Order: sequence, then C-alpha cells, then structure tokens
Amino acid sequence: MALALRNTQTLLYRLITAPGGVADGLARERGLPRGGLEAVIGGDARLGAASRLDIYANMYFYRLLEILKEDFPALAAALGPDNMHNLVTGYLTEYPPIEASVFWAGSHLAGFLRTHPIGGEFPYAADLAALERAIVEVFCARDTAPLEAAAMRAKAPERWPGVRMRAIAALQVVETKWRVAAALRAFESGREWKRPAPGPSTIVVWRQAAKVFYREVAALEAGAIAKLRRGAEFGAICAAVGRALAHDGSARESAAASKINAMLARWLRDGIVAAPGARRRRP
Amino acid sequence: MLQREDFPFLGFGVGLRRPHYSHILEKHPAIDWFEVISENFMVAGGRPLEVLDAVRAQYPVVLHGVSMSIGSADPLDRKYLRGLRALARRAAPVWISDHLCWSGVGGKSLHDLLPLPHNEETVRHTAARIRRVQDILERHILIENVSSYLTFRTSTMTEWEFVRAVAEEADCGILLDINNIFVNAFNHRFSAEEYIDEIPPERVVQFHLAGHSDHGAYLLDTHDHPVRDDVWALYARAVRRFGAVSTLIEWDDNIPPFAVLAAAAGRARGIYESVRRECVTADGARA
Repeated sequence: MALALRNTQTLLYRLITAPGGVADGLARERGLPRGGLEAVIGGDARLGAASRLDIYANMYFYRLLEILKEDFPALAAALGPDNMHNLVTGYLTEYPPIEASVFWAGSHLAGFLRTHPIGGEFPYAADLAALERAIVEVFCARDTAPLEAAAMRAKAPERWPGVRMRAIAALQVVETKWRVAAALRAFESGREWKRPAPGPSTIVVWRQAAKVFYREVAALEAGAIAKLRRGAEFGAICAAVGRALAHDGSARESAAASKINAMLARWLRDGIVAAPGARRRRP
Repeated sequence: MLQREDFPFLGFGVGLRRPHYSHILEKHPAIDWFEVISENFMVAGGRPLEVLDAVRAQYPVVLHGVSMSIGSADPLDRKYLRGLRALARRAAPVWISDHLCWSGVGGKSLHDLLPLPHNEETVRHTAARIRRVQDILERHILIENVSSYLTFRTSTMTEWEFVRAVAEEADCGILLDINNIFVNAFNHRFSAEEYIDEIPPERVVQFHLAGHSDHGAYLLDTHDHPVRDDVWALYARAVRRFGAVSTLIEWDDNIPPFAVLAAAAGRARGIYESVRRECVTADGARA
C-alpha cells in the first residue's frame, strides 16, 4: 500500500512542480501507468484530469510567488513582475521547498541570485535579497534580554574590560557590494525604487522590541561588531578599535576612547548587546 | 477514547491574522475565541509569539496546522511535531487540528493540502499516523476535510465514508469545513446534504466557514470572499444535525477589517440560536 501511495504522490508531485506546467510534465513523464493520467485521476466533461492537476500546479507556483514577493518586496519592485516570475520559476526548480513552513521558502534566494544571469542587468539583486532575507529572519529570531546601560554603569569601571559581551540572537550582519540599505530605506518610505549605488558596505540588521532595524556601519564598527558576535571581552573590543585607529593614524588615545564610548552607548541604546546569561526575554 | 466533553463549545470565533493584530491587542474586541495557524507561530521569537501570548491571555485559542501532511507516504516529520508540541506547551490551546491530506513527498513540500485516495488502505495508513501524532502530542487531535479538485481512480468509498472511517480508526475528532463540503460537492458531483447526514455527530468538534470563488467548471476554496448564502444554508443544516459546535470564520486573502469577520461570526451565532429555538419549539410542540 505505502508503495502505491508513494508512487501516486511522487507522480503528482513531479507533475505539479514541472517547470513547464502539467502538460509539459506529462509529455516528459515516464512513470505514467497504462491509460495515462486518466488512469490515476478521474476527469469529466467539465474538467479533464490534466486540467484538475493544473489547478494544483497554479496554486503551488502562485502561492510561493506571492510569499517570495511578500518577503522580498524591494527585490520584486526592482526586477518587475516578469523578471520576478521567471526568477521564481528557476528558483523553485533549483530549491524546491523542503521545510514544513513557508518561512523557509526564500532562504536560498540571495545565494541563487549570486550566479543567476539576471545579475547582468541587476548586479545588486543578490545583495538586496540578502538584506531583505536577513530582515525576515531577524523578525522571528530568538528573544534575548538586552544588556541595559544601567547594568553596565553599575559595574566598577576597572571591571569593564573583563566583561564578556555577546550579541543578541536577533542580529545579523550583511556584507554587500552595493549600497542597498539606503535604496531599501527609500523604497520603504514610499519612494519609487531607485538603483543602489555601487560600493562595499556592512549592514547590521537587528530587532528591538519586536521591530526590525538596519543600518550601514563603517569598517571600524563592523570590526567591533564582529568581535561582539564572537563573544569577546569588552577590553578586547576596545583594544581592537584602538589598534584600528592607530593603524589608521586618525586619532589620539582620547579620541579613541571617545569613539568607543559612543559606539557602546549606541549598542546599548539599540539593544544589540545581550545581558549576561540571557537566553530569553520571557519564559 | 475520545470524549466529546473534553472539547468545550467555544462559541463563534475567527482566525487570528496579522492585519488584525493591533486591533485585537488594543481594542480587545468581543469575539468568543481565535484559531491560529500553527506554523505562523512555530518560530524562535519576536512579535508573532508576543502577539500569541497576549491573545492567549484574553481569549481561548486553538492551533490549526497546515503542514502535518498526515496522509503522506513519507515518514512523519519529527522535527515539525517537536515544534508543534513545544508551541502547544507554550500556547496551551484548547485543541489542535490539521488536515486530512498530504502536503509533500520525497522530503519536499507543495505547501498545499492535497486529497488522498478514499480506500481502506489509505484509511489504515492515515489513521495509524494520526494515532502516532496523538501519542506524541499526548492529546486527541482534530482532522479537517479538505477542499479538492481531483479524485483518484483507486478510491472505493465516498469522501464522507473516508473521513468517518479515518476518524473512527484513529479515534480523533473532526473539524468539519462546511465550505469545503460545498466546494467538493460541486467539483465532484455529490450531495453536500448527504455528506452532512453521514458524518458521526459524536466526533464533530469544530466547524469552519469560509468563502470560495466560482470558476465556472469548478469552485475554488480561496478564503477571500464572504461566506456564500448556499454555504450558510448548509451550515444551518449542520447545526441542526450536530448541535452546539464551535464555529470559526476563515479569511486568508484580501482580509477585510476585523468588524467584517466579527459580523460573519455573529451571523453564525444567529443561525445557531435560530436553529436552537426551532428545536425547542419542535420539542415543545411534540410534548
């Protein structure tokens, strides 16, 4: 029995997901029983077997297209409907959904775009998709209680260097070759989609009080955040920043301390540093 | 053994959907209960779970899944079931439901609810899996009849015989979707009334009501329209047969303001009360 059911479901799966549609899938299908699809599925004068399966094929594609357009609204606007449709057709062939939740449907889209021919016309598309995907993932990432500024101030200054710092779970860093953060922000504020400028950027994406934020950070802060994400001690983060500034020759020691203070204040205000021992905001 | 009294009558509810989160949390509208799509809340953290916690604190909630794929030839998805069990521990739903269907095979998902062949072998296969799920979740679940656009040549029984047989062999409850019965009756040319009349009342725990689209040759279960008058009429028949059954309005696309859904739940309540009065009068007349 299980074999017969498996054969039937596998056949239907192949036909429903056939990139060229059910008719094309049927023309290529070698696993049909004698009597063809009509021997598996009942049809009638109103609707033949293939047409009935077409209903499922259309629902499969358009449901996932809508989900991907919802998860990647700026990408969809940038590419336009025809390009988005064709992109998703190819993407679903390469990365058919394997998870129970549609949340994961777009998890490979940025990677898929890196080598997709559409990158010729839209070279920033993969970066934009990576940023939009990070926003989706951060939205539902694990809750972590943030380190409060008062908790840090309560510690004696001489103990600060030894404080082990780590980032909250709802934080991601996206490295891009195009300045997609500014373009996405403009799009979100209702302005028409505008092609991003070229140029490398590091974008931090994080969630605070259920709201997702993102911002470009300079190389100095990007390096410090990388250390934060590895769970470095505050002293090690300060030392790295100090070395970077000294190497740059751009600041004296007092200026370095001022930069570090400003950086830490911003991190605490944004809630991106996890409280010590924090797992969840609530049980 | 499933005890009907373990599933209280919750009244008339609506699906918890994102466009209404703020309205519900700020206005606390008068609605009896909410049904949530399990998968939307099987996430690590963030706003969805905050909303669920807040809603759960004020209203009865049930979990309704779309990805159990209980009729698939694949092994049960243990990762999914662990996630569902964890969510159930957090949300303490009044009950958990999913669909009598398959959603994927070969480790891949169609993210859809596909029908099963209606025969004895599929009954045994599916019922055994429901029993395993009930063991894992440590509770009886409900299975819902799905809308469908195709039937299998290997079917040897009617859809209602299949639903009944699976529910009895698995010892689970039934979530009876009235709109799906109407849609399938049109698509597969059977009697919706006969379907209602053949489902065992002792297993029916919940009703779904939703809108559909008319595509001429077939009806599509789109959940993006008001409930059609014909479906309301079928609902009245179901209320006459099954009595006080928790009823839910489903609306998943082109979602209107909350008041529209609440009004539909109110119409369901009106039909229920009208049928109940009819029954009381009939009993009185007989007495």
